[in-house]
Amino acid sequence: MSLALDGLLAIALVVLALQVVTGASLFRSIVMFVVFGLVMALAWARLRAPNLALAEAAIGAGISGALLMLGYRRLRAAGPEATRPGPRSSRLAAPLSLLVAGLVASLGWTALGLPEALGAAGAAVVAAMPSQAVANPVTAVLLVFRGYDTLLELAVLLVALAGARAVEGPAGPADLAIPTMTGLPIVGALLAALVPLSVLVAGYLLHAGGNAPGGAFQGGAVLAAAGVLLVLTGRLVPHPVPGPVERWGAVLGLLVFSALGLVMLARGQGMLSMPGAWSIYLVESAMLVSIATTLVLLLGAAPGLRRGPLP
Amino acid sequence: MNFIQVAATILLVLGGFFYFAGTVGLLRFPDVHSRLHALTKADNLGLGLVCLAMALLGGSWRGAAMLLVIWLLGLLAASVSCHLVAQAALEPAAEPPTPRGDP
Amino acid sequence: MNLLLEGFALFLLLNLGAGMIRVWRGPSPADRMSAALLFGSTTVAMLLVLAEATGQPALADVALLFVMLAAILSVAFVGLARTLGAPPPTPTPGKSSGKPG
Repeated sequence: MSLALDGLLAIALVVLALQVVTGASLFRSIVMFVVFGLVMALAWARLRAPNLALAEAAIGAGISGALLMLGYRRLRAAGPEATRPGPRSSRLAAPLSLLVAGLVASLGWTALGLPEALGAAGAAVVAAMPSQAVANPVTAVLLVFRGYDTLLELAVLLVALAGARAVEGPAGPADLAIPTMTGLPIVGALLAALVPLSVLVAGYLLHAGGNAPGGAFQGGAVLAAAGVLLVLTGRLVPHPVPGPVERWGAVLGLLVFSALGLVMLARGQGMLSMPGAWSIYLVESAMLVSIATTLVLLLGAAPGLRRGPLP
Repeated sequence: MNFIQVAATILLVLGGFFYFAGTVGLLRFPDVHSRLHALTKADNLGLGLVCLAMALLGGSWRGAAMLLVIWLLGLLAASVSCHLVAQAALEPAAEPPTPRGDP
Repeated sequence: MNLLLEGFALFLLLNLGAGMIRVWRGPSPADRMSAALLFGSTTVAMLLVLAEATGQPALADVALLFVMLAAILSVAFVGLARTLGAPPPTPTPGKSSGKPG
């Protein structure tokens, strides 16, 4: 029974991916992509990776869909020709695809032949877990064992934000054309229920990340989704000047993590060592704020956001 | 199978029936609004029955409370989404209808 | 019991597959969006069933995330119809993007 379930999931993933790439209309491809994210989260759930399923749910099901829809909206505003899909076919397509298929097949063949045991690094992590302050091995890997990677990922987020600022044009509030439909009372009710709940769930995921699936990234993505909802419904409007919340929020994660690392270095305990669960939660809280701020600013496509006019 | 499992099975079968009905409505009804209507109503009820079945099987109050929250949020999200999509469908077409079976 | 739960998950997945027909056919964007709504609701039910079947209560958290974010796609979709007939935004020449140092 589980084989049938997993097999059907795999087939669905492949079919959806094909539909995304070869869709006749761009909109259909977008919807297929969102559905692909949903089924991918199911696949992670079947692979017993709830952390990844949480992240896929937050990013793939929510934010990516909104991002693609917004991009589609802006393309449409440029004229109906802009949304005609499909690259021109080239003579390299067939040999390249055969090459890639051969590569994937050989990788799969090798993977099937490997013994089904934990890798050396995984075994070392599992062995070191009981002495750690947190029980969730994913959090331990992210912050304790490979903290430097996470620090640099925060830097990458900041660089991405700066890069987006550099390439986007002078966007103004008129660019987004908030539809009047979102002034309906029902949307207000949705926001009144969802936004506070998102804050609560983000905090819950952050706290649970120590001992159960969760963590800063998942919580930050949920908070970002609430912010995206506010931007989409016109409660937050783009503004050319970033305020202190946007500026501090974007750098907070990097700042706190680096500061803690340097303090630990100064005290002779090694850079980026985590002296206890409190340090992990501190760094994760700062990371959550940074991730949420960066994602909302990237989606709002403006340096800052201000409270919009009440509908 | 004890009583709880039998009750959960019955609820699951009912929930599955409603999900099936929603999908049939989505595929067979003639018009986008009737499809939306069938889909939202049937799927919400199906979700509620599945949540009830899982609450019975889970056996903890905390889990049942979480399932209740999930169902209520599902109701909210589905209602708002259905309303918005139906309103948007009343507008002039955002893009020309794509014939089925396109390459 | 687990077998029944996994069988139910399989049944829901087949429902998903049938829903894909509506995404493929259309004909209007609203039709494709309503199929997306079907997917959201069905996936939540699948996750709840799998949470019980495989003994991973964290999957209920994933289901919670799904329902919370289900409305975002619809809200993003709603703006599409309005851009018909809207003039393309004219780029303002030489405007600095206002990010003071």
